[in-house]
Amino acid sequence: MNWSQVGPYTADNALLGLLPPLIGLVIALPLGVVCARFRWFYAPVLSLTTLIYAIPSLALFVVLIDYTGLSNETVIIPLALFSLCVLVPNVVDGLRAVPQPVRQAATAMGFGPMRRLVRVELPLAVPVIIAGLRIAVVSSISLASVGQLIGVSSLGYFIVDGFQRDFSEEIYVGIVLIIVLALVCDLLLVGTRRLATPWSRR
Amino acid sequence: MITFDRVTKRYPDGTVAVDALSLEIPAGQTMVLVGPSGCGKTTSLRMINRLIEPTEGTILVDGQDVLKAHPAILRRGIGYVIQQTGLFPHRTIEDNIATVPLLNKWSKAKARARSRELMALVGLDENMAKRYPHQLSGGQQQRVGVARALAADPPVLLMDEPFSAVDPIVRASLQDELIRLQGELHKTIVMVTHDVEEAIKVGDLVAVFRPGGHLAQVDSPERLLGAPVDDYVTDFVGFDRGIRRLSFFGAEGLDLDSEAILGESATVADARTLGLPWVLVIDAERRPRGWAAAAELASLPADSRLADAPLAPIGHTFRPGHDSLRSALDATVLSRTERAVGVAPDGTVLGVTTYERLRTAIRAAEEKADAEAAADGPAGAVQ
Repeated sequence: MNWSQVGPYTADNALLGLLPPLIGLVIALPLGVVCARFRWFYAPVLSLTTLIYAIPSLALFVVLIDYTGLSNETVIIPLALFSLCVLVPNVVDGLRAVPQPVRQAATAMGFGPMRRLVRVELPLAVPVIIAGLRIAVVSSISLASVGQLIGVSSLGYFIVDGFQRDFSEEIYVGIVLIIVLALVCDLLLVGTRRLATPWSRR
Repeated sequence: MITFDRVTKRYPDGTVAVDALSLEIPAGQTMVLVGPSGCGKTTSLRMINRLIEPTEGTILVDGQDVLKAHPAILRRGIGYVIQQTGLFPHRTIEDNIATVPLLNKWSKAKARARSRELMALVGLDENMAKRYPHQLSGGQQQRVGVARALAADPPVLLMDEPFSAVDPIVRASLQDELIRLQGELHKTIVMVTHDVEEAIKVGDLVAVFRPGGHLAQVDSPERLLGAPVDDYVTDFVGFDRGIRRLSFFGAEGLDLDSEAILGESATVADARTLGLPWVLVIDAERRPRGWAAAAELASLPADSRLADAPLAPIGHTFRPGHDSLRSALDATVLSRTERAVGVAPDGTVLGVTTYERLRTAIRAAEEKADAEAAADGPAGAVQ
């Protein structure tokens, strides 16, 4: 196998692992806020995101080829949608976990609803949201390798290539690299949470 | 001043939490709303800053109709303290305290300076400024809560069972602290509690609620103890109200006996001449030394000095002008001589009280209070 390929494929896989959850977060935040406020809205949203997650990734990739071709978007869009399945509930849970007295005190101090959300509720939901993000990132990193089957480059290359050439060592290298990448990204998120929430450290 | 004018809160399911409440809370005074749970006291409090919207009636804060004000702006002018403190876990102590100043667009530096000022005011050490709420004890957190409520110097302070969640010793010190603060700040304070002792301790006025959102009696703590309007209030006020009422009468009303007092250099013969069962012996600086019993003096030579006689301990003294008749009575009850010693602030003896003298003083104080209450007209807006 060609070790010089490790760097580029790792970078591609990292992009496919990190970008979809971030896009998912941008969608999940407003969606979660609305779901936390209007309970009746949450159940259908939850069903929908779970339903999407139940679709096999490869099937979604193939469907999207007609629209986005063999580009990164073909993988990024499904993975972003998948991430909603964990991100939306975590945004909702995070917001609901804000203690009632804190919310009431914020209102009584003269925070308007929007300001209260941005300055009090969302910051307090950060640990739960990041916990969701960790799951989404790790699962995106591993799912991204499936994209290799439609030719979108990732660490899945080593698995597919090793399989085609009946070269099991290459397959193991691919698997280990994916796990290491997932661990590194997870550690980065843990670090981010520690930096973002100095108040929760005990 | 805060005025409730026939304020009703009715919920969609028909429950009436507060029923046509009319109440005036004078500026600069502490009004405590007290009653059993479900009596509407908390609902009444929260309607002042519109955490709960009244169904009918008007509430005026310093002449302004709260329903016509912008809720967020209204609330920034009203301090709010709650039982669970509601501190923001993600903000440092100084930033928690600076919440309203920052909402009011003060500069960061000015808001910080104000935080430090308030920390000193409520008795928090400056090194806590950069800590987070979870790093403080319950009592300290509650002090932060009070400081945060006072940060923008609002004329009105609402307190919703502020001290219920802390242990009794901390609670007592927080209550004392509040009384001291109020002595300096003269805010219009509305406090809700279910603890009638707390109401009597911190309130200038106490409003007793009945279940169903009605007022039973609004009065000074002394009147509440002295003249509860009916059985409900009597029961609610609780045991020993006669004794507890004495806390509101100063001991300066006592006519102290100075005849039963002799210096250490006086002789046993001098003491016998007085013909009293107990003689208070004082030193050269007029500080109390102890009680000499006539029965014991009988066995001593007439020319021996009282300094050498066996003396019974003084027990606790009281200070007329500072302590109450309750304190003087307590000192008397605790002393086996059935007498207690009144002292000046410098510790020198003013005189001695007896049950006889206490009885006269208590009767006089009660009559004076009752006469004043009668002159003020019938007490308490009762519905």
